[in-house]
Amino acid sequence: MREFQYFARNLYWYSATILTAGLFAALWLIQETAFAAAALGITFLSFVSNRALTRRVEKASEQKRHLDQQLIQSQKLAAIGELSSGIAHEINNPLAIIGQETEWIWHLLKKDSLPSPEADQELRGSLQEIVRQVDRCKEITHKLLDFARKKEPLIQKADLNKLIEDMARLVEKEATQNKIRIVRDYQQDLPRVETDPPLLRQVVLNLLNNAAHAVEKDGTITISTQESANNTVELVFRDTGCGISKEHLDKIFDPFFTTKPTGKGTGLGLSISHGIITRLGGRISVVSEVGKGATFTIELPVKPLRGEP
Amino acid sequence: MIVDDELDFLETIVKRLKRRKVDATGIDSGTKALELLEQEHFDVVILDVRMPGMDGIETLKEMKKKRPLLEVIMLTGHASIESGMQGMQYGAFDYVMKPADIDDLLEKIQGAYERKALHEEKVRETKVI
Repeated sequence: MREFQYFARNLYWYSATILTAGLFAALWLIQETAFAAAALGITFLSFVSNRALTRRVEKASEQKRHLDQQLIQSQKLAAIGELSSGIAHEINNPLAIIGQETEWIWHLLKKDSLPSPEADQELRGSLQEIVRQVDRCKEITHKLLDFARKKEPLIQKADLNKLIEDMARLVEKEATQNKIRIVRDYQQDLPRVETDPPLLRQVVLNLLNNAAHAVEKDGTITISTQESANNTVELVFRDTGCGISKEHLDKIFDPFFTTKPTGKGTGLGLSISHGIITRLGGRISVVSEVGKGATFTIELPVKPLRGEP
Repeated sequence: MIVDDELDFLETIVKRLKRRKVDATGIDSGTKALELLEQEHFDVVILDVRMPGMDGIETLKEMKKKRPLLEVIMLTGHASIESGMQGMQYGAFDYVMKPADIDDLLEKIQGAYERKALHEEKVRETKVI
């Protein structure tokens, strides 16, 4: 489009040049030399200004390209910065605990050459804690790798009502214990969707798990499916939980963003889900207000475009 | 391959699958399942989550390390969100609650088998390129 505008503007100037040149030729023919000289002057001027303008437009678009590149670069750097601080923070906490426990073990071992029964008990406790923290680090790095690896989707036809229902049943037992009711509102003749079933299951389970956590006790999770415009299906997960504040809403799909206490969630669940849905050619969005629950909506194409990442 | 420590269940399901013309083998522990995987070819594994010794999630992880293209369907008697999330994250094809309806299970086995074929095709394509 930009190229076309550029070309059109140039065409305008070139035609102006040609027109005045034509006028000059006509005037020359009827021997109005003074006018002809003026026309020649105008021809020359318009030619020069045309050249100058072209050069200026070229320079401006070159500058814009450069600025665009810089902007993308700085956005990339900002994202990397956020990501690395997230990783550093997540790994630092368990490392600090491991360090403390190790120091304590040293201290206990220095006191007596053979540990007393109480010291022995404490030593074991410390070692157990270290193992637990190492596991926590492992989980973080594993999820991070998963996040970076971007498994390529394998497309299979799936009945989404059934797919969701399987996951809902998995969540239901624990939910019922906390007096959380799961309400289903499936569109019965929902078209079968070409998607990656295991990846989608992961997303659905993640959303249901989040919803159950948000509700805590006494509440409902409503799941609905429906066909919508443009050959897409909509999966909606609504809960009556604590809701999400406005400032958190913007960050909810960011990697490492979590409101759960440290150690209770890596903040990667939703960003992984977001990545999966994007790769499946769909969109995931959220609407929420504090105290009024949250609604997550997934839109998926019935048939994803071929060759889409 | 069906892996479950409850022998009664194992026998019944293998019998029922065979009746439906699915070539099924039953085995009663994760460790044995991993050994068998070295010796024989399998397309789909149905794996119980709760087993003494090596549990389902551990077995799943090891299986996926050894045979990344193998599809695994997790089977569970105790619905636990936590283990479900872990299972899906480690690459399980599906998560099925006990008691599983045989037709339902058959359909999932079919889906898992289809996926494995798709995956192998894709790997072949990339190798050609």
